Amino acid sequence: MKRILAIVLALMMVMGLTGLTAASAADFTINVNIWDSNQQAGLQAIADDWTAITGVPVKIEVIDWNSYWTLLAAGAQGGKMPDVFWTHSNTVQMYMDNDLLLKLNDYIEKDGVDMSLYYEDIVALYTRADGNIYALPKDHDTIALLYNKAIFDKYGVAYPTDDWTWEDMYEAAKKIQEAGAADGVYGMAMNTSNNQDGWYNLVYDYGGQVITDDHKGTTIGSDNGKAGMEMVRKLLTVGAPQSVVAETGTDSLFQSDKVGMITQGSWMINSFYKAEHHDDYAWACLPYADVNGNGQCDDGERWSCYNGLGWAAAFNTEHPDECASLIEYFCSVDAQKKQAELGVTMAGIKGISDEFANAFPGMDVSAFTKAESFKLYFRPYTRNTVAWEDPIQQAGGFLDAWQNPEDPALMATACENAQRIIEEAIAEE
Amino acid sequence: MAKPRKKRTAAARNEARWAWAFILPTIIGLIILNYYPAVETVIQSFYKTGDFGMGNKWVGLANYQKVLGSQEVWQSLWNTIKYAIIEVPFGVCIALVLAVFLNKKLKGTSIFRTIFFLPMVCAPAAVAMVWRWLYNQQFGLLNNTFHTQIAWISDPNLAWISIGIIGVWSVIGYNMVLFISGLQEIPGDYYEAAEIDGATGIKQFFKITVPLLSPTTFFIVQTRLIGALTVFDLMFMVLDKTNVALKKTQSIVYLFYDYAFTKSNKGYGAAVVMVLVVFIMIVTFILQRLEKKLVFYN
Repeated sequence: MKRILAIVLALMMVMGLTGLTAASAADFTINVNIWDSNQQAGLQAIADDWTAITGVPVKIEVIDWNSYWTLLAAGAQGGKMPDVFWTHSNTVQMYMDNDLLLKLNDYIEKDGVDMSLYYEDIVALYTRADGNIYALPKDHDTIALLYNKAIFDKYGVAYPTDDWTWEDMYEAAKKIQEAGAADGVYGMAMNTSNNQDGWYNLVYDYGGQVITDDHKGTTIGSDNGKAGMEMVRKLLTVGAPQSVVAETGTDSLFQSDKVGMITQGSWMINSFYKAEHHDDYAWACLPYADVNGNGQCDDGERWSCYNGLGWAAAFNTEHPDECASLIEYFCSVDAQKKQAELGVTMAGIKGISDEFANAFPGMDVSAFTKAESFKLYFRPYTRNTVAWEDPIQQAGGFLDAWQNPEDPALMATACENAQRIIEEAIAEE
Repeated sequence: MAKPRKKRTAAARNEARWAWAFILPTIIGLIILNYYPAVETVIQSFYKTGDFGMGNKWVGLANYQKVLGSQEVWQSLWNTIKYAIIEVPFGVCIALVLAVFLNKKLKGTSIFRTIFFLPMVCAPAAVAMVWRWLYNQQFGLLNNTFHTQIAWISDPNLAWISIGIIGVWSVIGYNMVLFISGLQEIPGDYYEAAEIDGATGIKQFFKITVPLLSPTTFFIVQTRLIGALTVFDLMFMVLDKTNVALKKTQSIVYLFYDYAFTKSNKGYGAAVVMVLVVFIMIVTFILQRLEKKLVFYN
């Protein structure tokens, strides 16, 4: 018994000593969690710049989108969240309401961060009703049309232009689908899960809203919403079947040269830039809906979804000062410029787009920066977005209509179902 | 008159202390990781859970009413039963036949035993990913080798069989190893006597092997049945959430994961999983009754 006591006391002394020495050197690492592997290399380079200044190492870990939120919520309940992480409009309200994020106001004031530099909608998203700021805008992204020049050449179809309407896209896809049937090539591809980068944009072009501005309702079941989805239905008749895109994603299909066109977001550019046949790929502006039929793009006929992630820190991180400093660095003008130059994403600060447009030598990505002259709507969110976002993509929602695009009635019913699902989910919040 | 208290010797007390020391880690683990969460789950099924476990609202039996009236829950219970109907019988029969053949002292039996056991060593997620590619309708190996266009995992009538096949493939090795060890306990005398009496191989199999193997078979059936009823990872990894066959294939644990973790509705998810618990209890009760009739213990 005495021997055991002696050993335990000796161990405690040793541990205590090492604890003291640990405090004086910066031998802790800031843990950063993100969900996009495309951005890891660029962000690590920026983080290393910060490490060079402060001496604190930064470790960035990528967790895939689905698991990211499950793990973060589990960490929030269990008490161990990563030090710094991305926030997203889907869930940030829940996190802010429950005080799970580090309050940044004092740091912003002390370090003189100019909040007017950032996109207002994104700042508003990450500011709580009482004025507390919980995340700094990291970036913004827009949507564009991606097409395969080789396929267009092979079937003799003219390339997309920046003046295309959705009808023009339909005509081109139809030619490719008919001519390419023997080779198994489709005109376009879109799954119910391509919402932000796909069919949401058509809903807005035709005057509907997936979530209304007060984040408490939807007009997807209205005549405007149905008109937008009817155009989506038309496009689906000249696209890959839903079972094909559910088993093999639209991106994989496109990179396997099986699809003429898809719509995609600026956060995916790297994936296509590094693909095997990237020389064949080109970006054009997202088509618009000529609702008033006057042959030109009027205000409100061309929308692009945009989203802005935020950098936030855990409320209970052991190193709040270092985390706040890292966040401010990521969102500073220099780091945001570097983020754009490296082609990671477009900046959360207004007016640094040119660096991004030139970040991919050999691939013209100006379609994304041109999108900033469209009307932009923020990615539709409510307090618990996933509660309706997943069900409307599945059976009982739009999946039913995607199974048989030849039938317009199915799409109209699906719009009504989606309206009901969204309203019920919002009522439960 | 007071009963004299039995005094334990110092040696007996010391032994008891060591016994506790060895059992304690497992018991603590069981209590913290199994019993406490199970009790918590039952409790949570009576609440509408708030964000991050805070602000839970008591709703009594409302979750259960919704669950019992939900077509989705009963469909997924039926999907789980269908999966168990494929995995357990086929897994047991194929493994039994393989075990009988691999129990003989022929050249190469140890190599084959290793090959058949390899699937157990592979990570379930990796297994699911490879099978997902094999089953792909356009680009998968199966359709391209046999020049077919079968929608293995997108046809609601076929997807559950495809997932069942993956389950059988993964579990054959485990069952086979257990059967081999059971077979080696059967004395060879019985077979010699049967041969002298003129019994064929197949007759020997059904009259000697199967009855004497019944304890092992019963154990395997019981554990594999419970394992099959709690299947989740195969459906989660092989089927995309927009797969049209999902509703006819998702298991009840998949539904639980969807509600409890993806949709953060832990109260409803807990009620869903209680349905499975009750069902497994009923199945186990029936099996225990059958044990007395079907299993021959020496």
